[in-house]
Amino acid sequence: MSHAADHPVLDQPVLDHPVLDHPVLDPRFAAPFPVAALPVLRNPQLRKNVAHAIDVIQAKRGKLVHEKSDWQALRSAGAAIRSHVLENLAPYLELFEVRCTAAGGVVHWAADAAEARQIILDILRQEQATEVIKIKTMTSAEIQLNPFLEAAGVRTYETDLAEIILQLGQDEPSHIVVPALHVNRSQVREIFARTMGLKNLSDDPHALTAAARTYLRQKFLNVPTAISGANFLVAETGSVVVVESEGNGRMCLTLPRTMITIAGIEKVLPSFQDLEVMLQVLARSATGERMNPYTSVWTGVTPGDGPRRFHVVLLDNGRSLMLAKEPERQTLRCIRCAACMNTCPVYRQTGGHAYGSVYPGPIGAILTPQLMKMHHAQTLPFASSLCGACYEVCPVKINIPEVLLELRSQVVNQERHEAGRFFDPMYLGLRIAHLLFSRAWIFHTAQFFGRIGIRFFTGKDGWIHSLPSVGGKWTQTRDLRGFPSQTFHEWWAERDLKPPGEAK
Amino acid sequence: MSAPGQIRQQGARQQILDRIRANTRSVAAEHLESEYALLPRTYVRAGSLSAEARLALMIERLREYDAEVVECSPENLPSSIASQLQSSGKRIFVAPSGLPAAWLAPGFDWRIDHNLSSAEIEVVEGVVTAAFCAVADSGTIVLHHSATEGRRVITLLPDWHLCILHASQVVETLPEYFSRSQEPPALATYISGPSATADIEMTRIKGVHGPRFLHVIVVHDQADQPKNQ
Repeated sequence: MSHAADHPVLDQPVLDHPVLDHPVLDPRFAAPFPVAALPVLRNPQLRKNVAHAIDVIQAKRGKLVHEKSDWQALRSAGAAIRSHVLENLAPYLELFEVRCTAAGGVVHWAADAAEARQIILDILRQEQATEVIKIKTMTSAEIQLNPFLEAAGVRTYETDLAEIILQLGQDEPSHIVVPALHVNRSQVREIFARTMGLKNLSDDPHALTAAARTYLRQKFLNVPTAISGANFLVAETGSVVVVESEGNGRMCLTLPRTMITIAGIEKVLPSFQDLEVMLQVLARSATGERMNPYTSVWTGVTPGDGPRRFHVVLLDNGRSLMLAKEPERQTLRCIRCAACMNTCPVYRQTGGHAYGSVYPGPIGAILTPQLMKMHHAQTLPFASSLCGACYEVCPVKINIPEVLLELRSQVVNQERHEAGRFFDPMYLGLRIAHLLFSRAWIFHTAQFFGRIGIRFFTGKDGWIHSLPSVGGKWTQTRDLRGFPSQTFHEWWAERDLKPPGEAK
Repeated sequence: MSAPGQIRQQGARQQILDRIRANTRSVAAEHLESEYALLPRTYVRAGSLSAEARLALMIERLREYDAEVVECSPENLPSSIASQLQSSGKRIFVAPSGLPAAWLAPGFDWRIDHNLSSAEIEVVEGVVTAAFCAVADSGTIVLHHSATEGRRVITLLPDWHLCILHASQVVETLPEYFSRSQEPPALATYISGPSATADIEMTRIKGVHGPRFLHVIVVHDQADQPKNQ
């Protein structure tokens, strides 16, 4: 049998022909980041919506982190726990499986997205389910579960308010915690009025929220099957943890007969007590709350309380390959709080859709290309100014800039060996630069001729206003200072010959 | 498909575990626990507030969440419950099967939860429960869903929740709650304020699907020593 790591086989897409005019969040079809970012940069309403939402969260987060005197200690503990798990992932997953199974759960393993979708569909078929209610789960979006189930004849109902807005508006998430932050109240009103048949709906968020409550209440009470994600899996107890705000999660976890949870294999924590760290950093980082309104912990099946059948699907989908080495491995420490995107100057300008993935922002820029085994999304590691703000806010201390740099070098190493790239001006230029810097005499000779050559482009004021060819791209928008008559090396050599004090 | 209680030996399972093992340097099983024990935990575990300050913080946090808080002595608890129910304007209440009989104020339509169906709970207007403990730092009420705290569904469907919290159940920090639950619960719900959303323009809206109204009676049981249930 061939080892999957040696021959990565990419999962077949669910949608062969993505609808244009619609953000494409499949990295295999998405436009390169600089192209995908343009529609947002040209849409002032969208930029205003994104900036407003981010400003609100950032202000709340800042205040609550500031009041926590042991914040850095919590970050260190969070990072250490998550690293320890990743280094010992196999035994912790096996322990989770044993404990969850003993508590009446059924554990499934899915090597890729296609397997996960099929496992879930098989369970739904066995349950004879034609409808399913869902709690917001990015992992389900990652494997494109909804279009797959719809095509197989199972109606999916998202129950998180933001996810309803997106599902009814046929839109895509642009943030992992507040997925509809790019949609404003009048746009929500329009979507709800159209799809729920409520002509007189106002755009007051209270009225819109009430409309969603009514729309879903009967679904919660009548649909017997639910799908959730997981914020954490606890190995020691076999428990699953979901954090949320609205109560739609509790509805889905409590009322149906059958519950299916899909979770990335990296979500496991060693012990129940580790939640004392994770729950303290998660809500503060994610929504700027001391604690999110509802956190649910459940363990397999509890007779008389909640679903009678419980399934967990453990999803690999590229994650196990990311364990191989640092700095990339730390990507899997992520607890999906979104603090990195809220603080990112690039995300603030472009919003989430530009990343062409359900995971946008700095974490998406390192996670998505790796989940794609570096075959797609190669522009994402460059979608950053490397300012380091994401590292500073990360509650589990993922050094995102470090991973970005590593992935950039991998992308460049891929590219420069491509046949068509030999005469690519950038790689040609870099090869020439490599030659120039390899020997001192070549460097000095080049300097000598360069100084003579550049004189033809230098104005009387000592500035270069216009360069030919690729150099023009620089001088189009800025001037360049002309070369000085003396190089530093020449000045240094001259200075050495004079007694101290006379150097000039 | 295999039955619950039995580990499924399927292709992907071995493939994934092999791939993980090939890519990690797991310590031997006997060292796993000792390595875990060495992880740095220098964050604040025990609180530093006095009992009064701790309780005051808890009440302040609850009020920040728009929860209604009243305080009473243990003797006055039944009458305090009655007056809360009275002022709610509601008549039909559900109670967990183990709720003390003295808490079931007369004059109301009580439905005791002996496995009521969702439809039966849906017609109920309010719920009264005890709590496992509460965390002052974040204003969190912890339910472990024992016989006095009720099944998960009864604190979910009714729109109005009255929770009885004893002062001795309040801890200051989240780690103190975790040291209190030596035996991890199979089910737990941590409630920090009523159901809410900020999904539309970050405007906080109270009450989406869970109870919109959270009322808490804090009982001054005057014990400095934390009392486990």
